Amino acid sequence: MTVPLSWYLIFATALFSIGFFGVLARRNAIAVLMGVELMLNAVNVNLVAFWRYLTPTDLSGQIFVVFVFAVAAAEAAVGLALMISIYRTRKSINVDELNELKL
Amino acid sequence: MVGQALFILTAGITLLMALGVVLARNLFHAALFLVGAFFGIAVLFILLEAEFLGAAQIIIYIGAIATLIVFAIMLSRHVMGKEAGAYNRNWYFALAGVVFFFLLLGWLLIKMPFNLVTAEVPADAIAQIGQGFVGHYVVPFEVASVLLLVALIGAIMLARER
Amino acid sequence: MTLPNLDLPPLLPEIILIGMALLLLVVDMAARFRDARAEGSLMAGLTFASVLIAAGATAAGIGGGDASVAGVVLVDDLSRYLNLVVLLAAGLSVLLAWAYVPQFSRESSSFYALVLLATAGMMFMGKSVELITLFVSLEILSVSLYILTGFNRHQLASAEGALKYFLLGAFSSGFFLYGLALFYVQTGSTQLAEIAAQDSGGVLLLIGLGLLLVGFFFKLAGVPFHMWAPDAYQGAPTPVTGFMSVATKAAAFIALFRVLAAVPGVPVEVWGWAVAIVAVLTMTWGNFAALRQKSLKRMLAYSSIAHAGYMMTGLVAGTDALNAILYYLFAYAFMNIGAFAVAAMLERPTPNAPQDATIDAARGLFDRRPALATAMAIFMLSLTGIPPLVGFFGKLYVFGAAVSAGWAWLAVVGMLNSVVSAYYYLRVVVVMFMAPEDETSYVRSRIPAGAGTAIAVAVTGVLLMGLLATPVFVELGRAVIALR
Repeated sequence: MTVPLSWYLIFATALFSIGFFGVLARRNAIAVLMGVELMLNAVNVNLVAFWRYLTPTDLSGQIFVVFVFAVAAAEAAVGLALMISIYRTRKSINVDELNELKL
Repeated sequence: MVGQALFILTAGITLLMALGVVLARNLFHAALFLVGAFFGIAVLFILLEAEFLGAAQIIIYIGAIATLIVFAIMLSRHVMGKEAGAYNRNWYFALAGVVFFFLLLGWLLIKMPFNLVTAEVPADAIAQIGQGFVGHYVVPFEVASVLLLVALIGAIMLARER
Repeated sequence: MTLPNLDLPPLLPEIILIGMALLLLVVDMAARFRDARAEGSLMAGLTFASVLIAAGATAAGIGGGDASVAGVVLVDDLSRYLNLVVLLAAGLSVLLAWAYVPQFSRESSSFYALVLLATAGMMFMGKSVELITLFVSLEILSVSLYILTGFNRHQLASAEGALKYFLLGAFSSGFFLYGLALFYVQTGSTQLAEIAAQDSGGVLLLIGLGLLLVGFFFKLAGVPFHMWAPDAYQGAPTPVTGFMSVATKAAAFIALFRVLAAVPGVPVEVWGWAVAIVAVLTMTWGNFAALRQKSLKRMLAYSSIAHAGYMMTGLVAGTDALNAILYYLFAYAFMNIGAFAVAAMLERPTPNAPQDATIDAARGLFDRRPALATAMAIFMLSLTGIPPLVGFFGKLYVFGAAVSAGWAWLAVVGMLNSVVSAYYYLRVVVVMFMAPEDETSYVRSRIPAGAGTAIAVAVTGVLLMGLLATPVFVELGRAVIALR
């Protein structure tokens, strides 16, 4: 193993932060969802890297990642269905144009 | 050395792809960048000797989730093409917050002393993962199936034409 | 390979609910309903029956000792009482939904199946002692609540509330997951018990706990992580609002207690401050925002945020406050769902879906329907915290726990906040009893049997649990001893 663990950790943190920025800054709901997917992927990289460097003989880390796959898929399916259903009536899915509800 | 070069190359490309996802004004381009980022992560999984996850990453993230996202973009065709305002007005606050988050967490993680274990990955890793699902993790495995059932009901209910 | 010794009977309540959810979907396919109302009644009836049976199965197990299933879920008296809170909320909401859902949907089977699965997810969450189970069950309740929030497809507000809830919820899941990953890293285990055994107060656990708290605060609608809550609560069909405002809090609080108990190395002085600050912000912001609402449902949504803040006050006392929070959750289930049930009766029907009720709709309610107005008054007074109603004892116990843990100032802030809240709760009472009826007033000409029953049960609960506060509190104290 020539690559230090910290490289993976920095990479994952950077990926998480990029996704985080996408969630905070983008207006389109699908773009926000893509940011969330990047965040979940970053955690997966963390988990796999930790598994490989800290507990390579115990596969819990990898199993955890498979569960994250399932959760991400479920969230994406429901979220995108929701967006399509809103788009049908509104012709826009920009987050800050969701103004049916006001303060 | 080869490993390090390979890592830097893959990680660099993946981060650029990820930046493309959040910066591309055209949603369709963003989705293509997302596919690239997912693929880069799959390569990293393989570099980490988690071949099963690498394959699963490609099948699930690229094959299912990214495809779903592309479908959603095409079904809301209106939002394809250049968006006039792709960003919030307050994007620079977001940027400042995210940079702070990155520096703080990154610094803490580098400083952290880890007890590294240098051991070979078991040859029957995939078999062990499978046994985990029907062994120690059988309850969360079943609970995850309930989650997928929920998603199934919801997606059909929500996306059906009125 | 060896399969674990799977001892399923302790999970009977969850299995009943999941089985019934599947049955509902099959029945819907097999039978062709011509009438949305007939379908709704059948589905609601089956759902209610399964909730009752699950509650009976849970109650029968109380005092029966702890049972661990495959080492990932722990069925103890704490989780049994959590089951009862969640099932109580589900039962009352199903009664309310009985006549409500057919007004806008012909998909009752999906609605009740999702309610049942969400309930099962919450029950799993409260008994998870393993990180993956905790995460997946949290996602079950989240995803099904996103869908239920957007269930009224004739109202854009419903879908928009759901989308906001989804986007922020998915975002918070990222933080939650990151926190779990760091827990796993520090100890190399996903079992809470092993994390507790190895915890020497590492920095990773501290960051992990911080990230987990962000995730929990999102689910609890703690300020500043509350942005989704008013819209989701107002947009959701009213029975769903009542259900999620109570049951989500219950599951999240109990799971949070289990997590906090697993990190004894992170001192309460550290996380206690984070919780205290969020609690102060949550109750203050919730109460002041509630003051200026015109919509009854939105006012109750903000009030729900404020109550999450009161409950967080108890959190700083750690597991010593567990029985206080459990008591508060029971109290809150009765008074809050009761209030939402009355609000649903004030919603003017339109061809597609009932319209949001304003506070003015309650004008002169006492003259037209004295019983309904009295019930609402009881809920409002209880939410304010007037003795001898259940809401008073809830606050007494929670604030008392904070005081005895040395956070007296936090309890004082809580009490001051209750005074502020009196203004908007009592305004509803004043409008109902004093204001003359005018064209804004509206109440359904016939109260559906289901909603009527729900309101009657809630009133009984508010009165009875107030009168029996001490014995109930003592019993809950016995139930939670294991976690201390």
